[in-house]
Amino acid sequence: MQPLERRIFFILVLVAGLAWIGISADSSGTQTKSVAAPQVGFLAPDFTLKTPSGESFTLSAQRGHPVIVNLWATWCPPCRAEMPTIQKVYDEYKDQGLVVLGINATNQDNALAIAPFIDQYHLTFPILLDETGAVSQNYQLRSLPSSYFIGRDGVVRDAVIGGPMPEALLRAHIEELLK
Amino acid sequence: MLALFRNFFAPPRDLILVVLAAWLGLSLSERRATRYNLNKDAIDNLILFGFVAYVMGGRVFYALEHLPDFAQSPLSLISFSIDLFDPIGALAAALIVAFVFGRRANLPFWRTLDTLTPFFAALAIGMGLSHIAENRIFGTPANVPWGIYTLDQTRHPIQIYELLASLLIFGLLWLPNLDSSPGSLFLTFTALTAAAQLFFEAFHGDSTLVFGDFRLNQILAWIVLATAFVLYEWLRTIHEQESNVLDRSTPRQ
Repeated sequence: MQPLERRIFFILVLVAGLAWIGISADSSGTQTKSVAAPQVGFLAPDFTLKTPSGESFTLSAQRGHPVIVNLWATWCPPCRAEMPTIQKVYDEYKDQGLVVLGINATNQDNALAIAPFIDQYHLTFPILLDETGAVSQNYQLRSLPSSYFIGRDGVVRDAVIGGPMPEALLRAHIEELLK
Repeated sequence: MLALFRNFFAPPRDLILVVLAAWLGLSLSERRATRYNLNKDAIDNLILFGFVAYVMGGRVFYALEHLPDFAQSPLSLISFSIDLFDPIGALAAALIVAFVFGRRANLPFWRTLDTLTPFFAALAIGMGLSHIAENRIFGTPANVPWGIYTLDQTRHPIQIYELLASLLIFGLLWLPNLDSSPGSLFLTFTALTAAAQLFFEAFHGDSTLVFGDFRLNQILAWIVLATAFVLYEWLRTIHEQESNVLDRSTPRQ
């Protein structure tokens, strides 16, 4: 290609690029806050689950509070490793409105091991039992633990898949939620 | 098939795909180094130092951004978690270290970038595969036969588009005469990648919008594309001037 032809080609490509930016400028395809999905920017999928003592918790009822949803199982080593850290930051931030919901993947866990686990780690935040696996399915659970950081408006702000979560990461995400 | 792939390479296992792609890219870059008469070991070291700077820079920049959180748990600084990472800081650190190392090792700037181009192209394929596995990015709603049902409706399979584009660009790098002058291979790759980003970003459902409804990544891609064109023209002009000088200084028979 001759230099002049090349330059004309480059200019045409750049003009076409600008036109494409203008044509494809449309926010209608990027509206996500009304759709429920376990993805950053989407409404967190709602659920109602019971604690081992029979008390019910509904995620949508926590609106107005920053929420951490942590999916875990007793047999999962990283889940065990991060529990003391979650409890520590929960103690520190609960007065600022932080809600932590620890959802046990009961359908793939030993139900008898849950109560000793709670005692062993002195967990004071609500532990909820996902007996049917419906919540795990709605949250597309592929790795344990998985944690979702949900804003006061019910929208997922961050997700940490796998663990254990370092304390600084937890704090950084909580600070973002509290802003 | 897609579900099986996603389960097998669920995060953080998706990083295996990026590492494999990087390894393939490194092997190809070594071959390019031999072709351009560059020191193969220096290229290996450049990538190694760049990688170390990327990893460390990402962690350090993240810690600097969240200093009070790290002050309360300093041990987090050496955590294995890949979430404590600032990708922009990581990239800046890698570029600075690679540039300084390249200068000290007397590596010619543009030919080194040409040598590294297969590495970048292979890495783009690895990133594409990783995006498919982690399933975090998603397309706009679409009524096309090849759409995939995800997040409540049929959407453009944006990860597949990105992967196909990166595979196509990777293949184009092996066209003859593409690296006729220093820098042309790298700039061609940069221009093609920016053009693909500019085009396919329109089908992203998770774009960051600026100035109203404009997609930030498209604007950035256009700037990169324009820069690649300007640099390409500049290098070609220098190359042509040098060729003319050589022609004039060669005695006619």
